[in-house]
Amino acid sequence: MAAVPVSVITGFLGSGKTTLLASLLRDPALARTAVIVNEFGEVGLDHLLVEASDEEIVLLDSGCVCCSVRGDLVRTAGSLLARRAAGAIAPFDRIVIETTGLADPAPILHALMTDPGIADSLYLESVIATVDAAAGVATLDAHPESVKQAAIADRIVVTKTDLGDPAANGLAERLHALNPAAPKLTAVHGAIDASRLFGGGMYDAQGSDVRRWLAAEAVPHDPVDHGHDHAAGRHDGAVTSFCLRRSTPLRAVTLTLFLQVLAEHCGARLLRLKGLVDVLESPGRPAVIHGVQHVFHPPVWLDAWPDEDRTTRIVVIALGLDPLWLKALLDALDVEVAALQMRATTDAGVLSTRKE
Amino acid sequence: MSSKRFRTGRRAGAYRRPRPAYDSFVLYDVAWHARMSHVLSGALGIWGVAGTIGPDPEDANGFLIAPRTGPEIRVCHDASAGWAVTLRDPASGEEVGLGQHPGLPGLLRRLREELAPDAPAGRLVVGAQQMLGRDAGGR
Repeated sequence: MAAVPVSVITGFLGSGKTTLLASLLRDPALARTAVIVNEFGEVGLDHLLVEASDEEIVLLDSGCVCCSVRGDLVRTAGSLLARRAAGAIAPFDRIVIETTGLADPAPILHALMTDPGIADSLYLESVIATVDAAAGVATLDAHPESVKQAAIADRIVVTKTDLGDPAANGLAERLHALNPAAPKLTAVHGAIDASRLFGGGMYDAQGSDVRRWLAAEAVPHDPVDHGHDHAAGRHDGAVTSFCLRRSTPLRAVTLTLFLQVLAEHCGARLLRLKGLVDVLESPGRPAVIHGVQHVFHPPVWLDAWPDEDRTTRIVVIALGLDPLWLKALLDALDVEVAALQMRATTDAGVLSTRKE
Repeated sequence: MSSKRFRTGRRAGAYRRPRPAYDSFVLYDVAWHARMSHVLSGALGIWGVAGTIGPDPEDANGFLIAPRTGPEIRVCHDASAGWAVTLRDPASGEEVGLGQHPGLPGLLRRLREELAPDAPAGRLVVGAQQMLGRDAGGR
Protein backbone atom coordinates (compact mmCIF):
# COMPACT_ATOMS: atom_id res chain seq x y z
CA MET A 1 0.00 0.00 0.00
CA ALA A 2 1.32 3.46 -0.88
CA ALA A 3 2.62 5.61 1.94
CA VAL A 4 0.13 8.19 3.18
CA PRO A 5 1.15 11.86 2.90
CA VAL A 6 1.04 13.83 6.12
CA SER A 7 0.68 17.60 6.22
CA VAL A 8 1.12 19.66 9.36
CA ILE A 9 -0.88 22.86 9.80
CA THR A 10 0.73 25.19 12.27
CA GLY A 11 0.25 28.85 13.15
CA PHE A 12 -0.09 31.07 16.18
CA LEU A 13 -3.19 31.25 18.36
CA GLY A 14 -6.05 32.85 16.48
CA SER A 15 -4.28 32.81 13.14
CA GLY A 16 -7.03 30.78 11.50
CA LYS A 17 -5.75 27.22 11.46
CA THR A 18 -9.04 25.65 12.41
CA THR A 19 -11.04 27.85 10.03
CA LEU A 20 -8.68 26.88 7.25
CA LEU A 21 -8.91 23.20 8.12
CA ALA A 22 -12.70 23.29 8.35
CA SER A 23 -12.87 24.91 4.93
CA LEU A 24 -10.46 22.43 3.44
CA LEU A 25 -12.41 19.47 4.72
CA ARG A 26 -15.46 20.71 2.88
CA ASP A 27 -13.51 20.47 -0.37
CA PRO A 28 -14.47 17.24 -2.15
CA ALA A 29 -10.86 16.81 -3.20
CA LEU A 30 -9.95 16.29 0.45
CA ALA A 31 -12.86 14.04 1.33
CA ARG A 32 -10.56 11.15 2.15
CA THR A 33 -8.60 12.99 4.83
CA ALA A 34 -8.02 11.97 8.41
CA VAL A 35 -7.36 14.76 10.89
CA ILE A 36 -5.34 14.76 14.06
CA VAL A 37 -5.88 17.81 16.24
CA ASN A 38 -3.43 18.71 18.98
CA GLU A 39 -5.07 21.15 21.35
CA PHE A 40 -3.80 23.07 24.32
CA GLY A 41 -5.89 23.43 27.42
CA GLU A 42 -7.91 21.27 29.70
CA VAL A 43 -10.81 21.08 27.31
CA GLY A 44 -10.17 20.87 23.63
CA LEU A 45 -12.61 22.91 21.62
CA ASP A 46 -11.14 23.51 18.22
CA HIS A 47 -12.05 20.08 16.95
CA LEU A 48 -15.71 20.89 17.56
CA LEU A 49 -15.40 23.60 14.93
CA VAL A 50 -14.24 21.19 12.29
CA GLU A 51 -17.09 19.46 10.56
CA ALA A 52 -16.18 15.89 9.85
CA SER A 53 -17.19 12.53 11.12
CA ASP A 54 -15.84 11.74 14.57
CA GLU A 55 -13.97 8.75 13.42
CA GLU A 56 -11.91 10.87 11.05
CA ILE A 57 -10.86 13.36 13.70
CA VAL A 58 -8.63 12.31 16.52
CA LEU A 59 -7.98 14.68 19.37
CA LEU A 60 -4.60 14.74 21.03
CA ASP A 61 -5.35 16.39 24.33
CA SER A 62 -2.08 15.89 26.11
CA GLY A 63 -1.30 19.59 25.94
CA CYS A 64 1.25 21.70 24.21
CA VAL A 65 4.40 20.16 25.57
CA CYS A 66 5.69 18.95 22.27
CA CYS A 67 7.85 16.16 23.61
CA SER A 68 4.90 14.58 25.39
CA VAL A 69 2.86 14.89 22.23
CA ARG A 70 5.32 12.86 20.21
CA GLY A 71 4.41 9.50 21.66
CA ASP A 72 0.71 10.26 21.42
CA LEU A 73 1.07 11.39 17.86
CA VAL A 74 2.89 8.28 16.75
CA ARG A 75 0.42 6.04 18.57
CA THR A 76 -2.52 7.93 17.10
CA ALA A 77 -1.18 7.81 13.56
CA GLY A 78 -0.39 4.13 13.97
CA SER A 79 -3.88 3.50 15.30
CA LEU A 80 -5.45 5.33 12.36
CA LEU A 81 -3.49 3.19 9.93
CA ALA A 82 -4.39 -0.01 11.74
CA ARG A 83 -8.09 0.88 11.84
CA ARG A 84 -7.99 1.78 8.17
CA ALA A 85 -6.37 -1.54 7.33
CA ALA A 86 -9.00 -3.39 9.38
CA GLY A 87 -11.80 -1.49 7.66
CA ALA A 88 -12.92 -0.04 10.99
CA ILE A 89 -12.92 3.52 9.65
CA ALA A 90 -13.49 5.08 6.28
CA PRO A 91 -10.46 4.77 4.07
CA PHE A 92 -8.29 7.89 3.87
CA ASP A 93 -5.54 9.00 1.51
CA ARG A 94 -4.11 11.81 3.56
CA ILE A 95 -3.53 12.83 7.15
CA VAL A 96 -3.57 16.44 8.32
CA ILE A 97 -2.23 17.33 11.74
CA GLU A 98 -3.31 20.62 13.28
CA THR A 99 -0.87 21.74 15.98
CA THR A 100 -1.65 23.98 18.89
CA GLY A 101 -1.04 27.66 18.37
CA LEU A 102 1.79 27.63 20.87
CA ALA A 103 3.52 24.60 19.47
CA ASP A 104 6.98 24.39 18.10
CA PRO A 105 6.29 22.20 15.07
CA ALA A 106 9.79 20.71 15.00
CA PRO A 107 9.21 17.90 17.52
CA ILE A 108 6.11 16.85 15.61
CA LEU A 109 8.15 16.65 12.43
CA HIS A 110 10.85 14.73 14.30
CA ALA A 111 8.30 12.19 15.45
CA LEU A 112 7.09 11.69 11.91
CA MET A 113 10.61 11.45 10.53
CA THR A 114 12.13 9.09 13.03
CA ASP A 115 9.60 6.61 14.31
CA PRO A 116 10.28 3.25 12.68
CA GLY A 117 6.75 2.05 13.39
CA ILE A 118 5.19 4.51 10.97
CA ALA A 119 8.14 5.27 8.69
CA ASP A 120 7.04 2.92 5.95
CA SER A 121 3.40 3.94 6.09
CA LEU A 122 3.58 7.72 6.28
CA TYR A 123 5.69 10.43 4.80
CA LEU A 124 5.91 14.07 5.68
CA GLU A 125 4.56 15.99 2.73
CA SER A 126 4.45 19.59 3.84
CA VAL A 127 4.25 22.06 6.65
CA ILE A 128 1.65 24.81 6.27
CA ALA A 129 1.72 27.89 8.50
CA THR A 130 -1.15 30.32 8.92
CA VAL A 131 -0.41 33.97 9.66
CA ASP A 132 -3.03 36.56 10.51
CA ALA A 133 -2.90 39.48 8.04
CA ALA A 134 -4.12 41.96 10.61
CA ALA A 135 -2.20 40.89 13.70
CA GLY A 136 0.66 39.04 12.04
CA VAL A 137 3.35 41.69 12.38
CA ALA A 138 2.62 42.22 16.07
CA THR A 139 2.53 38.47 16.63
CA LEU A 140 5.88 37.97 14.93
CA ASP A 141 7.32 40.77 17.05
CA ALA A 142 6.02 39.41 20.32
CA HIS A 143 6.09 35.64 19.96
CA PRO A 144 9.20 33.77 18.82
CA GLU A 145 7.04 30.64 18.36
CA SER A 146 5.21 32.34 15.51
CA VAL A 147 8.48 33.26 13.82
CA LYS A 148 9.61 29.67 13.99
CA GLN A 149 6.29 28.40 12.66
CA ALA A 150 6.53 30.66 9.62
CA ALA A 151 10.22 29.99 9.08
CA ILE A 152 9.85 26.24 9.07
CA ALA A 153 6.86 26.11 6.69
CA ASP A 154 6.73 24.89 3.10
CA ARG A 155 3.71 27.10 2.46
CA ILE A 156 2.45 30.16 4.29
CA VAL A 157 -1.23 31.03 4.25
CA VAL A 158 -2.00 34.63 5.12
CA THR A 159 -5.47 34.67 6.63
CA LYS A 160 -7.98 37.44 7.37
CA THR A 161 -6.85 39.54 4.44
CA ASP A 162 -10.25 41.20 4.63
CA LEU A 163 -9.06 42.73 7.90
CA GLY A 164 -5.56 43.73 6.94
CA ASP A 165 -3.40 44.30 3.89
CA PRO A 166 -0.17 42.30 4.25
CA ALA A 167 1.57 44.41 1.61
CA ALA A 168 0.67 47.68 3.29
CA ASN A 169 1.39 46.72 6.89
CA GLY A 170 4.74 45.13 6.18
CA LEU A 171 3.70 41.54 6.82
CA ALA A 172 4.40 40.41 3.27
CA GLU A 173 7.93 41.75 3.43
CA ARG A 174 8.53 40.16 6.83
CA LEU A 175 7.32 36.78 5.67
CA HIS A 176 9.42 36.93 2.53
CA ALA A 177 12.50 37.77 4.57
CA LEU A 178 11.73 34.97 7.03
CA ASN A 179 11.11 32.27 4.49
CA PRO A 180 11.70 33.36 0.92
CA ALA A 181 11.30 29.89 -0.55
CA ALA A 182 7.80 29.25 0.77
CA PRO A 183 4.91 30.29 -1.51
CA LYS A 184 2.65 32.85 0.16
CA LEU A 185 -1.07 32.18 -0.29
CA THR A 186 -4.07 34.02 1.04
CA ALA A 187 -7.32 32.79 2.52
CA VAL A 188 -10.40 34.72 3.61
CA HIS A 189 -12.60 32.79 6.02
CA GLY A 190 -10.51 29.76 5.22
CA ALA A 191 -11.37 29.77 1.53
CA ILE A 192 -8.46 28.50 -0.49
CA ASP A 193 -7.84 26.20 -3.42
CA ALA A 194 -6.72 22.96 -1.77
CA SER A 195 -4.67 21.99 -4.79
CA ARG A 196 -2.37 24.95 -4.12
CA LEU A 197 -1.91 23.96 -0.52
CA PHE A 198 -1.10 20.30 -0.65
CA GLY A 199 1.26 18.34 -2.81
CA GLY A 200 4.28 20.30 -1.60
CA GLY A 201 6.35 17.23 -0.92
CA MET A 202 8.91 15.59 -3.08
CA TYR A 203 6.85 12.79 -4.57
CA ASP A 204 9.57 11.30 -6.64
CA ALA A 205 13.10 11.95 -7.70
CA GLN A 206 12.22 13.71 -10.92
CA GLY A 207 13.69 17.06 -11.73
CA SER A 208 10.72 19.36 -11.39
CA ASP A 209 9.83 17.92 -7.98
CA VAL A 210 13.31 18.39 -6.61
CA ARG A 211 13.70 21.90 -8.00
CA ARG A 212 10.33 23.02 -6.67
CA TRP A 213 10.99 21.42 -3.30
CA LEU A 214 14.44 22.94 -2.93
CA ALA A 215 13.42 26.39 -4.24
CA ALA A 216 17.01 27.53 -3.99
CA GLU A 217 16.38 30.24 -6.55
CA ALA A 218 14.03 31.98 -4.15
CA VAL A 219 16.68 32.35 -1.48
CA PRO A 220 18.92 35.41 -1.72
CA HIS A 221 22.32 34.64 -3.15
CA ASP A 222 25.61 36.37 -2.82
CA PRO A 223 26.04 38.52 -5.92
CA VAL A 224 29.74 37.70 -5.99
CA ASP A 225 30.27 34.03 -6.76
CA HIS A 226 33.80 32.96 -6.00
CA GLY A 227 33.31 29.42 -7.19
CA HIS A 228 32.06 27.84 -4.02
CA ASP A 229 30.43 30.63 -2.22
CA HIS A 230 27.73 31.22 0.30
CA ALA A 231 24.67 33.27 -0.33
CA ALA A 232 24.06 36.21 1.90
CA GLY A 233 20.87 35.97 3.89
CA ARG A 234 18.13 38.20 5.06
CA HIS A 235 17.24 38.64 8.66
CA ASP A 236 14.09 38.74 10.73
CA GLY A 237 15.37 39.14 14.24
CA ALA A 238 17.65 36.20 14.55
CA VAL A 239 16.20 34.14 11.70
CA THR A 240 18.34 33.93 8.59
CA SER A 241 17.67 32.29 5.23
CA PHE A 242 20.54 31.63 2.92
CA CYS A 243 21.88 29.25 0.33
CA LEU A 244 25.34 27.75 0.48
CA ARG A 245 26.57 27.15 -3.03
CA ARG A 246 29.59 25.16 -4.01
CA SER A 247 30.82 24.43 -7.49
CA THR A 248 33.29 21.70 -6.53
CA PRO A 249 32.08 18.28 -5.37
CA LEU A 250 31.92 17.60 -1.67
CA ARG A 251 33.41 14.48 -0.15
CA ALA A 252 30.81 12.22 1.44
CA VAL A 253 32.73 12.25 4.71
CA THR A 254 32.81 16.04 4.69
CA LEU A 255 29.06 16.21 4.24
CA THR A 256 28.50 13.76 7.10
CA LEU A 257 30.86 15.62 9.43
CA PHE A 258 29.29 18.95 8.48
CA LEU A 259 25.83 17.73 9.41
CA GLN A 260 27.18 16.12 12.59
CA VAL A 261 28.83 19.35 13.71
CA LEU A 262 25.70 21.35 12.95
CA ALA A 263 23.50 18.89 14.82
CA GLU A 264 25.84 18.79 17.78
CA HIS A 265 26.48 22.48 18.25
CA CYS A 266 23.55 24.29 16.71
CA GLY A 267 20.78 21.75 16.24
CA ALA A 268 18.18 23.90 17.93
CA ARG A 269 19.11 26.86 15.73
CA LEU A 270 18.80 24.90 12.52
CA LEU A 271 15.14 25.34 11.70
CA ARG A 272 15.37 23.67 8.34
CA LEU A 273 18.07 22.50 5.96
CA LYS A 274 17.38 21.30 2.43
CA GLY A 275 20.04 20.49 -0.08
CA LEU A 276 21.03 19.07 -3.39
CA VAL A 277 24.63 17.97 -3.03
CA ASP A 278 27.26 17.05 -5.59
CA VAL A 279 29.07 14.23 -3.80
CA LEU A 280 32.56 13.43 -5.05
CA GLU A 281 32.13 9.68 -4.70
CA SER A 282 28.83 9.71 -6.60
CA PRO A 283 29.47 11.58 -9.84
CA GLY A 284 26.34 12.46 -11.76
CA ARG A 285 24.08 11.22 -8.95
CA PRO A 286 23.48 14.06 -6.51
CA ALA A 287 22.19 13.52 -3.01
CA VAL A 288 19.07 15.19 -1.67
CA ILE A 289 19.27 15.98 2.02
CA HIS A 290 16.62 17.34 4.36
CA GLY A 291 16.71 18.05 8.06
CA VAL A 292 14.71 19.78 10.76
CA GLN A 293 17.03 20.82 13.57
CA HIS A 294 19.20 17.78 14.37
CA VAL A 295 16.94 15.22 12.70
CA PHE A 296 17.49 14.29 9.05
CA HIS A 297 15.86 12.03 6.54
CA PRO A 298 18.10 9.40 5.01
CA PRO A 299 19.61 10.99 1.90
CA VAL A 300 18.00 10.26 -1.44
CA TRP A 301 20.34 9.60 -4.35
CA LEU A 302 18.99 10.90 -7.63
CA ASP A 303 19.65 9.11 -10.89
CA ALA A 304 20.64 12.38 -12.53
CA TRP A 305 20.80 16.11 -11.91
CA PRO A 306 17.37 17.71 -12.14
CA ASP A 307 18.62 20.62 -14.27
CA GLU A 308 21.68 22.11 -15.92
CA ASP A 309 22.90 23.56 -12.65
CA ARG A 310 25.37 21.04 -11.25
CA THR A 311 26.39 23.04 -8.20
CA THR A 312 25.74 21.99 -4.65
CA ARG A 313 22.94 24.05 -3.16
CA ILE A 314 22.18 23.88 0.55
CA VAL A 315 19.28 26.04 1.67
CA VAL A 316 19.35 26.88 5.36
CA ILE A 317 16.80 28.61 7.55
CA ALA A 318 18.36 29.18 10.92
CA LEU A 319 18.11 31.12 14.14
CA GLY A 320 21.18 33.24 14.68
CA LEU A 321 23.63 31.38 12.47
CA ASP A 322 26.11 33.31 10.36
CA PRO A 323 26.19 32.09 6.74
CA LEU A 324 29.88 32.91 6.57
CA TRP A 325 30.53 30.72 9.58
CA LEU A 326 28.76 27.80 7.96
CA LYS A 327 30.77 28.30 4.79
CA ALA A 328 34.04 28.49 6.75
CA LEU A 329 33.11 25.33 8.65
CA LEU A 330 32.27 23.43 5.48
CA ASP A 331 35.49 24.53 3.79
CA ALA A 332 37.60 23.75 6.85
CA LEU A 333 36.13 20.28 7.15
CA ASP A 334 36.66 19.59 3.46
CA VAL A 335 40.30 20.70 3.58
CA GLU A 336 40.86 18.50 6.62
CA VAL A 337 39.15 15.46 5.13
CA ALA A 338 41.04 15.90 1.85
CA ALA A 339 44.34 16.00 3.72
CA LEU A 340 43.50 12.90 5.75
CA GLN A 341 42.42 10.98 2.66
CA MET A 342 45.54 12.00 0.74
CA ARG A 343 47.71 10.95 3.65
CA ALA A 344 45.94 7.61 3.96
CA THR A 345 46.32 6.97 0.24
CA THR A 346 50.01 7.86 0.34
CA ASP A 347 50.62 5.70 3.41
CA ALA A 348 48.85 2.79 1.76
CA GLY A 349 51.04 3.25 -1.30
CA VAL A 350 54.19 3.26 0.81
CA LEU A 351 53.13 0.10 2.61
CA SER A 352 52.31 -1.57 -0.68
CA THR A 353 55.73 -0.64 -2.09
CA ARG A 354 57.48 -1.99 1.01
CA LYS A 355 55.66 -5.30 0.73
CA GLU A 356 56.79 -5.63 -2.84
CA MET B 1 42.89 10.50 20.98
CA SER B 2 42.70 11.27 24.63
CA SER B 3 40.67 13.85 26.44
CA LYS B 4 42.31 13.34 29.82
CA ARG B 5 44.15 16.24 31.35
CA PHE B 6 47.89 15.94 31.68
CA ARG B 7 50.65 18.27 32.73
CA THR B 8 52.87 19.24 29.87
CA GLY B 9 55.66 20.38 32.19
CA ARG B 10 56.24 23.46 30.14
CA ARG B 11 55.54 27.08 30.65
CA ALA B 12 54.34 29.65 28.21
CA GLY B 13 57.10 31.29 26.27
CA ALA B 14 59.60 28.58 27.11
CA TYR B 15 60.22 27.95 23.44
CA ARG B 16 58.65 28.56 20.10
CA ARG B 17 57.60 25.45 18.33
CA PRO B 18 59.08 25.43 14.82
CA ARG B 19 56.52 24.79 12.11
CA PRO B 20 56.76 24.43 8.37
CA ALA B 21 54.37 26.64 6.41
CA TYR B 22 52.94 23.46 4.92
CA ASP B 23 53.44 19.78 4.94
CA SER B 24 52.67 17.44 2.07
CA PHE B 25 48.93 17.60 2.64
CA VAL B 26 48.00 20.77 4.49
CA LEU B 27 48.84 24.26 3.32
CA TYR B 28 48.94 26.57 6.31
CA ASP B 29 48.40 29.70 4.32
CA VAL B 30 46.59 32.91 5.11
CA ALA B 31 43.30 31.39 3.96
CA TRP B 32 43.73 28.44 6.34
CA HIS B 33 44.37 30.74 9.28
CA ALA B 34 41.48 33.05 8.39
CA ARG B 35 39.10 30.11 7.93
CA MET B 36 40.05 28.43 11.20
CA SER B 37 39.91 31.69 13.09
CA HIS B 38 36.42 32.28 11.74
CA VAL B 39 35.30 28.76 12.66
CA LEU B 40 36.59 29.12 16.21
CA SER B 41 35.22 32.61 16.80
CA GLY B 42 31.85 31.60 15.36
CA ALA B 43 31.76 28.59 17.64
CA LEU B 44 32.37 30.81 20.67
CA GLY B 45 29.38 32.91 19.62
CA ILE B 46 27.16 29.87 19.24
CA TRP B 47 28.13 28.62 22.69
CA GLY B 48 27.55 32.07 24.18
CA VAL B 49 31.16 32.48 25.24
CA ALA B 50 32.57 36.02 25.23
CA GLY B 51 36.19 36.05 24.21
CA THR B 52 38.70 36.50 21.44
CA ILE B 53 40.61 34.32 19.02
CA GLY B 54 44.12 35.26 18.00
CA PRO B 55 47.21 33.69 16.55
CA ASP B 56 49.29 31.72 19.03
CA PRO B 57 52.55 33.64 19.41
CA GLU B 58 54.30 30.39 20.24
CA ASP B 59 53.04 28.23 17.43
CA ALA B 60 52.73 29.23 13.80
CA ASN B 61 49.86 26.79 13.27
CA GLY B 62 48.11 27.57 16.51
CA PHE B 63 45.43 29.80 17.92
CA LEU B 64 44.99 31.32 21.31
CA ILE B 65 41.45 31.34 22.66
CA ALA B 66 41.04 33.95 25.35
CA PRO B 67 37.64 33.82 27.02
CA ARG B 68 36.63 36.88 29.00
CA THR B 69 36.72 34.76 32.12
CA GLY B 70 38.80 31.70 32.81
CA PRO B 71 42.07 30.37 31.51
CA GLU B 72 43.28 30.65 27.96
CA ILE B 73 43.22 27.68 25.64
CA ARG B 74 45.80 27.02 22.96
CA VAL B 75 44.88 24.90 19.97
CA CYS B 76 47.67 23.87 17.62
CA HIS B 77 47.44 21.88 14.44
CA ASP B 78 49.94 19.33 13.34
CA ALA B 79 49.19 17.77 9.99
CA SER B 80 50.14 14.28 11.11
CA ALA B 81 48.62 14.33 14.58
CA GLY B 82 45.66 16.70 14.41
CA TRP B 83 44.70 19.27 17.00
CA ALA B 84 46.43 19.57 20.35
CA VAL B 85 44.42 21.40 23.00
CA THR B 86 46.19 22.97 25.96
CA LEU B 87 44.87 24.92 28.92
CA ARG B 88 47.09 27.68 30.20
CA ASP B 89 46.95 28.96 33.76
CA PRO B 90 46.96 32.74 33.43
CA ALA B 91 48.76 33.24 36.73
CA SER B 92 51.52 30.69 36.62
CA GLY B 93 51.69 30.17 32.89
CA GLU B 94 51.71 26.46 33.50
CA GLU B 95 50.02 24.41 30.82
CA VAL B 96 47.75 21.40 31.07
CA GLY B 97 47.14 19.26 28.04
CA LEU B 98 43.49 18.57 27.30
CA GLY B 99 44.00 16.03 24.58
CA GLN B 100 44.73 15.46 20.96
CA HIS B 101 41.98 15.37 18.36
CA PRO B 102 42.48 14.16 14.81
CA GLY B 103 39.79 16.40 13.36
CA LEU B 104 37.79 19.57 13.73
CA PRO B 105 34.62 17.88 15.08
CA GLY B 106 36.56 16.49 18.05
CA LEU B 107 38.29 19.80 18.61
CA LEU B 108 35.03 21.71 18.69
CA ARG B 109 33.48 19.18 21.06
CA ARG B 110 36.43 19.45 23.44
CA LEU B 111 36.34 23.23 23.37
CA ARG B 112 32.62 23.32 24.07
CA GLU B 113 33.04 20.93 27.00
CA GLU B 114 35.76 23.14 28.40
CA LEU B 115 34.40 26.59 27.66
CA ALA B 116 30.65 26.10 27.75
CA PRO B 117 29.77 22.85 29.47
CA ASP B 118 26.17 23.96 29.82
CA ALA B 119 25.70 24.88 26.16
CA PRO B 120 23.13 22.71 24.38
CA ALA B 121 24.67 19.69 22.73
CA GLY B 122 22.77 17.51 20.32
CA ARG B 123 23.60 14.66 18.05
CA LEU B 124 22.73 13.91 14.47
CA VAL B 125 19.70 11.67 14.11
CA VAL B 126 18.95 10.12 10.75
CA GLY B 127 15.33 9.11 10.80
CA ALA B 128 13.69 5.98 9.49
CA GLN B 129 11.28 7.75 7.18
CA GLN B 130 12.21 8.13 3.53
CA MET B 131 11.76 11.50 1.92
CA LEU B 132 9.96 10.27 -1.17
CA GLY B 133 6.27 9.69 -1.39
CA ARG B 134 6.67 6.78 -3.74
CA ASP B 135 9.62 4.73 -4.70
CA ALA B 136 11.24 6.11 -7.83
CA GLY B 137 14.22 3.85 -7.61
CA GLY B 138 16.28 6.55 -6.03
CA ARG B 139 16.40 5.18 -2.52
